Amino acid sequence: MIKKLLISPLGWLIGILLSLGICMAALFLGSIDVQTLMNTDIGSKILWDIRVPRVLLAFVIGASLSLAGVLIQSNVRNPLADPSLIGVSAGAALGAALMIVLADFVDFQAHYYIPIAAFIGGILATVAVLKLGRNDLPGGMALLILAGIAINVVAASLIGLLTYLATDSALRHITFWSLGSLASANYFWLTLCSIALLIICLWLPKQHRKLDAILLGQAEANTMGVDVKRLQKQSIVLVALLAALAVSACGIIGFIGLVTPHIGRMLVGASHRYLLPLSFFLGGSLLVIADSIARTIIAPAELPIGIVTALIGAPVFIWLLLREGRRLQW
Amino acid sequence: MVMSLHGISLSRNGKQVLDNISGELAAGKIIALLGPNGAGKSTLIKAMARLLECQGEILLQGRALEQFSSEQLAQHLAYLPQHSQLQFPLEVEEVLSLATLPFSLTRLQQRQQVKQVINDWGIESLADKDFRQLSGGEQQRCQIARTYLQLSNMKAEGRGCGLWLLDEPASSLDLEHQQQLQKICLQAAQEGHCVVIVLHDLNQAFSLADEVWLLDNGQIRAQGKTSEVMTEQMISEVFNVAARRINDAGNSIFVFG
Repeated sequence: MIKKLLISPLGWLIGILLSLGICMAALFLGSIDVQTLMNTDIGSKILWDIRVPRVLLAFVIGASLSLAGVLIQSNVRNPLADPSLIGVSAGAALGAALMIVLADFVDFQAHYYIPIAAFIGGILATVAVLKLGRNDLPGGMALLILAGIAINVVAASLIGLLTYLATDSALRHITFWSLGSLASANYFWLTLCSIALLIICLWLPKQHRKLDAILLGQAEANTMGVDVKRLQKQSIVLVALLAALAVSACGIIGFIGLVTPHIGRMLVGASHRYLLPLSFFLGGSLLVIADSIARTIIAPAELPIGIVTALIGAPVFIWLLLREGRRLQW
Repeated sequence: MVMSLHGISLSRNGKQVLDNISGELAAGKIIALLGPNGAGKSTLIKAMARLLECQGEILLQGRALEQFSSEQLAQHLAYLPQHSQLQFPLEVEEVLSLATLPFSLTRLQQRQQVKQVINDWGIESLADKDFRQLSGGEQQRCQIARTYLQLSNMKAEGRGCGLWLLDEPASSLDLEHQQQLQKICLQAAQEGHCVVIVLHDLNQAFSLADEVWLLDNGQIRAQGKTSEVMTEQMISEVFNVAARRINDAGNSIFVFG
C-alpha cells in the first residue's frame, strides 16, 4: 500500500513537497524570528549568507551520502556496507588531522586548507584501496573490501599518532572536526557538492536496472549483459567523490549513508528505480532535520551533527537489524 | 554450431580443474554434463558463460567469446547458477523483468513479457512476493523462468539460436516441477536453442539429453550420444557404484547398488 503510493506520481509530488517543506521550516527555525529575518538588513544577511547555504548544503550532503550508501551496498551486495568501507572517510580524516596538527607547528591559515587536505586524503585512500583490490576476480569485491578495511586501520593508526603529537587545542579541533558540523557552510561548498550530486543524478538513470541485476549475484549480472567490473569501478569513483566532498565540507557524518538506504528499502523495496529517488529525498530531508536539531537543541551553542545522526541512526539501525533478523532468520 | 570448445584447461591452487576439454554444442540439442562431485561440471559451464578465465579457445556463433561485449553475450546465452544469493528485498516480478535487460524493449513490452511468463509458469501467487522469502524450489522455478525469458528474447530479436546453460536446475525441484523443467528444456531445443544442463539424476539425464559429456577429475571420460556414453560399465567406473541399465518397453532406467 505504502509502496504503491510512494512509486506513483502522487508519491513523487508528496516527496518533493515534503522535502521543500522541511527545508523551508529549517530556514526559519532558530533564535531569530521570521519577522526579523524577512524585514531587516541583518536578518536578510543571516538568511541568505548563513541559513540558506547551510540548509541547502545539509540537503545536498544528506542526499549525496544516502545515494553513496545505496551504491556501495548494492555493489558489494552487503546491506551493512556504507561509504566509509572504501576508506574515503578515514583518508579524509587523516588529511584533516594532519593539517590541524601542522597548523600548530607552522604558521598558516589552517581552516582554508583543512577541507582541501581532507578531500585529497579521501581520494588518495580510495585510490590505494582500488590499487590494492585490483587483482580481484572479475566482478569479485572481497579483495577490495579487505583493502578498504586495511586502509581504514592504517588511517586510524596514523590519526592516533597525530593525536598523540597534537597540542590540547589541536586535539580538541580534531575531535570536533571528526564529529561533523555544517556551521561553516557557504556557497562555495554548496556549488561543489551540488555539481558532484548533479553528475551522479545524470549517471544513475541508465544504471538502475544494472544495479538490480548485481543484487541477484555477480554471475547473474554478468550473464544479463552487465559489465559488472566496469559498473563497480564507476560506482566506487562516484561514491568516493561524493563522500570526499561531503567530509571535506562538514567533517564526518555517520549513519546517513548506512541507515537511509535501509529505510528506503523498507518503504519501496530494493528496486533501484524507486529506491534511488526515495533515498535522495530521504537522505536530504533527514540531514536537514538532524542539522536543525544540532543547532537549536542547546542554543546558543551547537551540538556536532555527527552526534545527532549517530544518536538517531544507531537505534534505528539496531531496530532494523532485529526486524530483518527476525524476518529472514539471519 | 552454437558453441565450440577447443582445449579448455583451468588450474586452481595447483590442481587441474579442467584438463584439455574440447567439444561442440549444436543448435536444437540438449547436452547433459554428468560426473561425480568435483568432476568440473560447474566450472565448465561457468567457463562457457565466460565467468572464469581459462586457457584454450571458446567460440560462440563462430566468434571468440572474448570478442563479445557483456550485452552481446547476454543476447546469445542465458545462465542459471546453482544457488541464488539475493540479500535485498526484490519482488519476484522485478527479478523476472531483469531477463529483458540485454534487449531493447519498452517498459510496456517488458511488463507484458513478465506477465506472460508468470502465467506460463503458473507463479501468479508468487509475483509480488519478496524473492528471499520463497522456498528453495520456488526460487529455483523463478530463476529458471527468468533465464528462459532471456532465451526467448534471443529468438524474438532474430539473433538465432541461444545457448541455455543450466547448473543443477533440478536440485531443489519436486517431481512435478522436474517434469515441467524437462518439458521446457525439450521445448527450448525444439525452438532451435542449445541446452546445456548439469544433472545428478542419471535417469533424468538419460531420458532428456541428446548428448552426454561425462566428466571425471576435470577430464572428459566420454562424450557423444546419450545411449552410447551412458553404458553400465562407464557409469560404474566413473561414479564408483554398480550400475545396471534395465530396458522396458523402449524406456531405459538405471538401477544402482
